[in-house]
Amino acid sequence: MTGVAAAVSVEDVRRTTFWQYLTNDVRTLAFLFLLPTILILTCVVVYPFTYALLLSFQDKTAGAPGKFIGLRNYIELLSDPEYIQIFYNTVWYTVFGVGIKFIIGLASALALNQPRRFTPIYRTILFVPWAIPTVIASLTWLWVYNEFNGLLNLLLTRLGLLDHGIAWLAEPKLAMWSVIAVVVWNGTPFYTMHFLAGLQAIPKELYEAAEIDGAGELNKFWHVTIPSMKPVFTITVMLSTVFTSTSIVVVNILTNGAPANLTQILPNESYSAAISAGRMGLGSAINMTLLPFLVVFIIILTRRMLGNKGA
Amino acid sequence: MSVGSKDRSKRLAHHIGSITLFILIVWTLAPLYWMVVTSLKTNSEIYGETITLWPLKPTIDNYRILFQETNFPIYFRNSVIVAVATTFLSLIFAALAAYALTRLVFPGRRFFARALVYTYLMPSSLLFIPLLVIIRGVGLQNTLEGLVLSYLGFTVPFCSWLLMGYFMSIPIELEESAMIDGCSRIGVLIRIVLPLTLPALAVVAFFSFTLSWNEFIYASVLVSDVSVRTIPTGIPNFVVQDVFFWGPMMASTLISAIPPLIVYFVFQRFLITGLTVGAVKG
Repeated sequence: MTGVAAAVSVEDVRRTTFWQYLTNDVRTLAFLFLLPTILILTCVVVYPFTYALLLSFQDKTAGAPGKFIGLRNYIELLSDPEYIQIFYNTVWYTVFGVGIKFIIGLASALALNQPRRFTPIYRTILFVPWAIPTVIASLTWLWVYNEFNGLLNLLLTRLGLLDHGIAWLAEPKLAMWSVIAVVVWNGTPFYTMHFLAGLQAIPKELYEAAEIDGAGELNKFWHVTIPSMKPVFTITVMLSTVFTSTSIVVVNILTNGAPANLTQILPNESYSAAISAGRMGLGSAINMTLLPFLVVFIIILTRRMLGNKGA
Repeated sequence: MSVGSKDRSKRLAHHIGSITLFILIVWTLAPLYWMVVTSLKTNSEIYGETITLWPLKPTIDNYRILFQETNFPIYFRNSVIVAVATTFLSLIFAALAAYALTRLVFPGRRFFARALVYTYLMPSSLLFIPLLVIIRGVGLQNTLEGLVLSYLGFTVPFCSWLLMGYFMSIPIELEESAMIDGCSRIGVLIRIVLPLTLPALAVVAFFSFTLSWNEFIYASVLVSDVSVRTIPTGIPNFVVQDVFFWGPMMASTLISAIPPLIVYFVFQRFLITGLTVGAVKG
């Protein structure tokens, strides 16, 4: 009798110690908690990234094994005037996309931060495009831009500003701007939100002190708002630059690079090369040429983001 | 500067603000208005000689066509499955990871925090080509599981990152006293940390839901079967299929925008606070 009881209790103790070992040894617990995340990120981010780097030095087509060809993909790209053109497009697209989003986002945030009736309603409306999927926004704008039945031409001809409709996405001089307009429509709320949060975090005392010194609205803007917002500006612009320059959705749906590659950007060109034409090595190389620029932003951003967290 | 001119400059700023808001609201709503109106028009009102700015004879015909004659219901169902599964899994994995990175002291903690930010900032356009090879290699091409797995690659780091900020704002004394009372680490996480961060979990759920609902590049690379397509890769094909498809197309965009919009309206008040603790992809 006693022997059985003793055996049970020994078993019991052993089980609790194992469970306690798992849950109370901090290192094991941390490892267990991080395990799913580590596994996922290794499989779908770290390994693919390494693989993409390797692919860019290979001649690899879909379904066939790759062959190492050194820098030949990169040489092919850099000696191709079309690639140079697309690289310039990407820079243009990113700089103006980010710049216009910044200006409109700041204007909206400043206006929303003023005391005004119904501000919550205005804020809700201005944030709506951010909740609209980019694919949906692009398709809707494709219809707005329609040469014969679109809203834009309809309004402009009704108002007497145009005699006949314009093909916004086919006209060489207008196509890129039409694409950028959609990027701006969809992406501005991201800036407005960050800027509004930043404006609301500026201590009221700073404005009061400036008012005592006799500063008007413009002075307060230049000497209080802008300096206080600098960290918010930096982090928003850098995040947005990384994600604007690498997003293919708007271009892919509106023009897919047409007319004559004038709206083509590198990530979408890489998509065409790798998926449509099956040249995966070349496609990877196209993306990798953006990497040096992205790395600079990503390193600075990581430092800032970790700094904010105090980690 | 005199008091009068200061008042004047304040009033001027207010007026400029009002005009700015007016213009921006028109610019924001115009395409959406056109989407709604088109979806309610008859074909003759959409393509006719004189196009109207609003439907003269409103009809739900476009919606009927969309649901009865297209694959939209399949795309919609797939999108719901993928977005819900991704959100559910990201919440669990991210809560565990964020807790470990903020509350447990272990070697390599800083390294993992840094690695998390790097993976979050890694654009998917750099990864889609090798991912196609990998996912095909493990036989997950043309499956919803393959999509969920790929989406976890951006939702998990992002959600963990957001949650880390929230977890750090909870006073550690609460957890310490619970542990003195005999609560285990997992008990602390479930009974104290998670209930206190419910708004944060809501924000995180919102982001992973919308990110996976909107995802385009992985979906168009990893899936080619019509039966596994999600909304973002399914409905753009309507344009190719039929020139006169704008009515049902706008009906489909409207319906596809509704789930993220509902979540947005519900979680609105948490979003701004969510932004102040972590940065958002966009």
